[in-house]
Amino acid sequence: MAAIEAEKLRRTYRQTSGFVRRRTKTIEAVRGIDFEVNEGELFGLLGPNGAGKTTTIKMLVTLLIPTSGAARVLGHDVVHSARTVRRNIGYVFGGDRGAYERLSGLDNLRYFSELYGVPPKVQKRRIPELLELVGLMGREKERVEGYSRGMKQRLHIARGLLHDPPVVVLDEPTIGLDPVGARELRNTIAELAQAGKTVLLTTHYMYEADALCDRIAVIAEGEIVAEGTPTALKSVVADRTVVEIEAYGLPAGALERVRASPGVTSVSVEEREHVQLLLVQAPKGLELTQQLLGCLGDVRVGRVAAREPTLEDAYVSLVTGS
Amino acid sequence: MTSLRIFFVGGLTSYRALFNWLTPWILIPSFLIAPLFQILLFAYIGRTTHLESDRFYVIGNALQYAAVPCLFAMGNTIGGERFQHTLPLVLTTPAGRLPLFIGRSVPVIANGFVVSGFALVTGSALLGVHVPISAVAPLVLVAAVTAFSCTGLGLCNAALGLRVRETAVTSNILFGFLLVFCGVNVPLSSLPAWMSTIAEGLPLTHGIAAARQLAGGAGLGKVAGLVGAELLIGCIYVVGGYALLRLMEIESRRRGTLEIA
Repeated sequence: MAAIEAEKLRRTYRQTSGFVRRRTKTIEAVRGIDFEVNEGELFGLLGPNGAGKTTTIKMLVTLLIPTSGAARVLGHDVVHSARTVRRNIGYVFGGDRGAYERLSGLDNLRYFSELYGVPPKVQKRRIPELLELVGLMGREKERVEGYSRGMKQRLHIARGLLHDPPVVVLDEPTIGLDPVGARELRNTIAELAQAGKTVLLTTHYMYEADALCDRIAVIAEGEIVAEGTPTALKSVVADRTVVEIEAYGLPAGALERVRASPGVTSVSVEEREHVQLLLVQAPKGLELTQQLLGCLGDVRVGRVAAREPTLEDAYVSLVTGS
Repeated sequence: MTSLRIFFVGGLTSYRALFNWLTPWILIPSFLIAPLFQILLFAYIGRTTHLESDRFYVIGNALQYAAVPCLFAMGNTIGGERFQHTLPLVLTTPAGRLPLFIGRSVPVIANGFVVSGFALVTGSALLGVHVPISAVAPLVLVAAVTAFSCTGLGLCNAALGLRVRETAVTSNILFGFLLVFCGVNVPLSSLPAWMSTIAEGLPLTHGIAAARQLAGGAGLGKVAGLVGAELLIGCIYVVGGYALLRLMEIESRRRGTLEIA
């Protein structure tokens, strides 16, 4: 039996604007997606901002009722058996908020233990174990308002595991963390999977998904555009090469010229402090460097390199449909 | 057992979680000093206009001031969760909603009771209002019942917090509504008929009437009907507030407004 199932899962939102003449707009956040997560699997849901990841998660954790379709957790329907689903699922989201700032970390965990119906005897054993797991032992009596972002995030993880749920849903848990904090959290997530938990992870950090996930679904504009192992997804762009060009101040129209250049299959730009990193995908074996530099005109160019495609390149290709 | 723990332990912890920012610098002026201003204002207006006795104003305003914690604190049990982004986490727990939400009202009732009691004692001392010793214990009971019924209305206010962004607005409106309609400073008999009819269905009205009679020397038996009516109205608001909370929770899941109302 699959631990998580989504069948033609769809969710729309109605947005109204205007005061006198009210206008209603329907937004399709999730457009009938299907996927399954097997028991003990670490499954990644990848997509850009606004792709429908969080809406999907909210339906699975019973915070939103699907507009149509169905979702089940361990065979329990998220609408009709919401309470059973809640007993079996641990929900953790990223960011600073989501804890009682004026309470200690320990009191936060005690309170949620009560809400999850964890008996006091079990709490006494379980809470120290979790504090140890997330590295907060010794700081548990301090108020959460004094915690760093990473500590708060680790507290969220501990809270999500209080009732020892078989399914853990992590919605962008490493967002905003420094590299060391993010790495520590990824180690904790990997430990959860090793402990036999089913983990559904949403992220838009490709290396995170690549390092952690057994399988990945890529979601874009509310639809799943690809699903498979990280290796299988990378094979989408296996016949390509990626040219990286550092440009200092791309002139207007340069990007369009690169995009229209013969042989170019996909172009994306990463804005860095003083430089734009141009990532151009093209069929393997095709020498494009001179042609691309010609498209950029007089712009000052830094490092130019060609490399093998990564999962991130596959992701860009999938979400841009190129 | 789990429900009992959620009711008592959970209720108290959530009160600490949501109101730990209330330092003595905020608590004492808001809950202990401000009601005295209201009592003194109306008592001196009463003295100037020779309308009602000091006792009338002390009892009315002291009991009505319980509405501040009962309305604002109950509203904040949802509004505060929304502000801290903990509401989705609370609502994704399997905790029964009855002990979860009603449990949050117990510390609020105690808070309202303390505010009323302090205002009653201090207001009486400041204005030289005499209350018979025999009336003290029944007055304690009436103050507790009134705080309970006010908290029932506060629970309805909390439910609105699942739909509107800011419950302080509704708390302020309800506070003013109770001040005008419940015979706090104007006897019900002097209010337009439609207002006194509405007052019959509001918390405070019967509690204030019972307290005034007790302070005037009546026995508890004589005001049992009024106390019973106050209690019944409180129960109706608690049931209504809980039903409204459940409805709003389902509605917010349907409309996707849990975090963005």
